[in-house]
Amino acid sequence: MSELHTPQAGDDHAPDLDVVGLLMRQHGDIRNLFDEVEQSKGDERRDAFHRLVRLLAVHETAEEEVVHPFARRAFEGGEQVVEDRLAEERAAKETLSALDDLDTDDPEFLPKLRALRTDVQEHARAEERYEFTHIRRSTDVTNLATMAKAVKAAEAMAPTRPHPGVESAAANVALGPVAALMDRTKDAVRKAMKNG
Amino acid sequence: MTFNPLEQRGIPLDRQLRSWRELNVPPIDPDRCDPYTRCRIITMNGIEVEAIMFSHQLARNTVDPEVKRQLARTRYIEAQQQKVVNWLLPGVSSVLETTIAYEQVAVDLTGWVARMEPDPYLKQAYEFGVLEDFDHLYRYANLYEMIEHRKAESIVDNLTEVMPGRPTRFHHRDPVDNVRDPYDKDTTNPLSKLHALTIMSAEQQTMNFYMNVGPQYMEPIARQLYQEIGLIEEEHVTHYESLVDPGETWWEQLVNHEYNECYLYYSFMEQESDPKVKAIWELHLNMELEHLHIACDLMRRHDGREPQEVLAPELPNVLTFEPNKQYLRHLLDTQMDLTTLGAGYVREAHERFEKMQEQIHGGEEPPSDRVMAEHDEMFGREYRVQSEGEHPDPAMREK
Repeated sequence: MSELHTPQAGDDHAPDLDVVGLLMRQHGDIRNLFDEVEQSKGDERRDAFHRLVRLLAVHETAEEEVVHPFARRAFEGGEQVVEDRLAEERAAKETLSALDDLDTDDPEFLPKLRALRTDVQEHARAEERYEFTHIRRSTDVTNLATMAKAVKAAEAMAPTRPHPGVESAAANVALGPVAALMDRTKDAVRKAMKNG
Repeated sequence: MTFNPLEQRGIPLDRQLRSWRELNVPPIDPDRCDPYTRCRIITMNGIEVEAIMFSHQLARNTVDPEVKRQLARTRYIEAQQQKVVNWLLPGVSSVLETTIAYEQVAVDLTGWVARMEPDPYLKQAYEFGVLEDFDHLYRYANLYEMIEHRKAESIVDNLTEVMPGRPTRFHHRDPVDNVRDPYDKDTTNPLSKLHALTIMSAEQQTMNFYMNVGPQYMEPIARQLYQEIGLIEEEHVTHYESLVDPGETWWEQLVNHEYNECYLYYSFMEQESDPKVKAIWELHLNMELEHLHIACDLMRRHDGREPQEVLAPELPNVLTFEPNKQYLRHLLDTQMDLTTLGAGYVREAHERFEKMQEQIHGGEEPPSDRVMAEHDEMFGREYRVQSEGEHPDPAMREK
């Protein structure tokens, strides 16, 4: 494997003026974290998995707060497209919570993680093909940039790199439970949308 | 090699039709498959597309309605084979991911063929072309990281290196300089005929793919890069198709097509790691054996010749997907600055080449250079996979 860092959320100098481009790169970040979890062991895997859970939570929260409400109104049939995506998200959340109850070294962990990965990947492509294309088509650059700003505000809530020296789960515990993270993300997103 | 397709009988044609249920194959898992399984799928799709289009052209040049009906029957089965093969690719893959896999095919298929090709003139044609596919892989890999934040090594899995080849901007030659000299059908090694048909078909499929999927992207740099590389695929098809002797009759060409399909399905069946995919290669081989017999009968009837006169006495050594890293490094070290002049190769930028370059670039940077500049703005570096060390050409090392 090459020595390059896997690019992760916010880890580039893109101007992020387009919410769709930004979310597509986040979909890649999520896949990268799945790779990291699958390829690591012990504490490293535990740490990578916690970062994955947090990025998924933040990413989905941002989509639910910013993109889905816009898509519902923006185009004919948007309501149904969003309903389909939300159903996929609910199913993924259930698998995720079952996974969260397991230790990352449990023999059941990897097969369940792979099933989740498949669901998440199908969901992400469905968003890109059936929702995002309509968003780009039905709004202007100002609105795309405002939404991008809100998603960036959410992204800042989920550090995706391991903290140097604290590869244990302790660091993630210190950041609080996922539900609280989602609440904080919602607040951050709403604030950014208001100021946008 | 004991397998001789001419002596085997396959599944009778009237038992080859498949129902919707049988056509509905489960796709491979893009995150867990053997990258060379995906390469074999992409190759066989290109081979089946060529089989279908060749048969259509033959039918359009055929007067006898009975022969037209015979061609239509085999062609319908080939159309089903193409559906099964290409539908092994998963819907969750993005266009760019599939593109990177196409370029991995171009690099490792052409690389292997170049290594095995007995005729020095034909070998040079493959060596020349592979350094261009190699550069396309590098450009698309950088675009992929920009759009999806993913590394191409998650697709090519360290089997193929990713770094500059002959720079894409120099691939734009005057069209007349893309036409090669053909092999001589009566004296060439039968293996050379199979190689030429295989690489021509693969490049043609790549051309068709880029010309159709390129505009699906919204990012301006992606749209433009597909246009630029799509035009180079046009050059590559010209380059490879001109290697085939145009003196082969239609029926002889048909036999060569069917024989090549047998050869490739047999080769891929022998090396396939995915059991479900292997079963498809085996089934399709058994179908192709019958298509070959039908083609042989048509050739005997219309040309009054025995197919054995134009085919290999036995099936050649199996065509293999495997890493070609050292071979490519040798070419990077020795053939970077080649271009074509007439049907040959030169190292200097001649007048016709310079004129074409001037006109097509119009004094601006081509998309293949701009994609690197935009990637650098975003990440402050390039994307490469150099598993075997520094680039062999010092001028091509990352600054």
